[in-house]
Amino acid sequence: MQRSPDDLTLSGDEQIAGEADRPFARSLPWLLLVGGLVGFAAAFTLTVEKIALLRDPDYVPTCSINPILSCGSVMRTPQAEVFGFPNPLIGVAAFAALAAIGAAMLAGARPRPWFWAGLQAGVTFGVVFVHWLIWQSLYVIGALCPYCMVVWVVTILLFWYVTLVNLGRTRAGRLLAEYHAVALTAWFLLIIGLITVRFWDYWSSLI
Amino acid sequence: MAFKSPQNTTASGARAKIDAARAQDRRRAARKRNMTIVASLVAAFAVIVAVFLAVDPGSGPDGDTLAAGESRYVRSDSHRLTTAADGKVTLVEFLDFECEACRGMYPLVESLRKEYEGRVTFVVRYFPLPGHFNAERAARAVEAAAQQDKFEIMYQRMYQTQTEWGEKRTPADEYFRGLAQGLGMDMAAWQKAYEDPATLARVKKDVADGQALGVQGTPTFYLNGTLVQVQMQDDLKKAIDAALAG
Repeated sequence: MQRSPDDLTLSGDEQIAGEADRPFARSLPWLLLVGGLVGFAAAFTLTVEKIALLRDPDYVPTCSINPILSCGSVMRTPQAEVFGFPNPLIGVAAFAALAAIGAAMLAGARPRPWFWAGLQAGVTFGVVFVHWLIWQSLYVIGALCPYCMVVWVVTILLFWYVTLVNLGRTRAGRLLAEYHAVALTAWFLLIIGLITVRFWDYWSSLI
Repeated sequence: MAFKSPQNTTASGARAKIDAARAQDRRRAARKRNMTIVASLVAAFAVIVAVFLAVDPGSGPDGDTLAAGESRYVRSDSHRLTTAADGKVTLVEFLDFECEACRGMYPLVESLRKEYEGRVTFVVRYFPLPGHFNAERAARAVEAAAQQDKFEIMYQRMYQTQTEWGEKRTPADEYFRGLAQGLGMDMAAWQKAYEDPATLARVKKDVADGQALGVQGTPTFYLNGTLVQVQMQDDLKKAIDAALAG
């Protein structure tokens, strides 16, 4: 396969200058900013709802729509406080940071590799945690919380594109970048499929 | 591997342009390929779900379709206080544990079901009214007890204690928990069932049936699928006697 200039492998400072050539490097800051803000809004709402629930145990959260889509039952579980404090607090801090990172990159910041490594570690923790929560929500709690699902989507998106940017022009990176939307769609369809199967009785009763 | 600095800058400039154009084409083709596969994946998924829905329509908890032997009046999982041997006469009551009129009817229903034991099937359907703050909780508490085969005793307890917890605007969870405890239930299981969304769904299924039948308030009685207007104490007994005779 013939190599074109953008396949160049560079080193040191040139690599930082050549960052814009990595797939999605230009769109990632926007994704970080917008995704960070959306995730922040969801986590913040969950925190406010949690406080309302603590003040009044009888409070019905705004997202408790039916027996399946029900924040109230999810928010009362031990899984909602895995680390001894309400999970959304992590989201409030982490998503705010991601949005700020996106804004900084849009303003011209060119982070060093160690910063990218840190970002990767953060989103990886996030995506693992989110999948554990999906598992718990589906198979242990048996209810879905709409705001939490917003967080699932945003976390997966951010993990996916941060990873693609970090993989850069490696063989795996290029292959995944080529089919990025396919992989992402398959990923989301898998989760939607699990939700469909798990609550089939309920969904089929709606029609 | 690395592209060494070219000798001729103009040539490299032209080449860079061609490469850029090529790269753009590649990106365009990749985007198109992506979109095609994504669209196929989504379409395939939608088709699979649609097929399953077509094959298995509404077998759900509050499904619109009725299983064999079921009606909107009596479902297979509806609670029966007594069962008639011949199954010819069935009295269905849609009730709300926090409704005073239901408590008013309760002693009569108790005496009737003893009197007609074995001859009339008495069925209880939940119909907690939104205006009653703890009615849905009470229904869940009874349903949670039913899962430990303690439907009848919990149903009785609810009416016996209604004045203690009814007509209040504060959650009666602790009170119901106490009732269950007093009846010697497995409290971990009871609590789990009480909070389980499936229990709430089970209660709402009864409500959905009641609404479909046109139940307006509680208590509402249906005798063999016919609404019984209960004005006097005797009305219910007369209707049952007529049904047994006919």
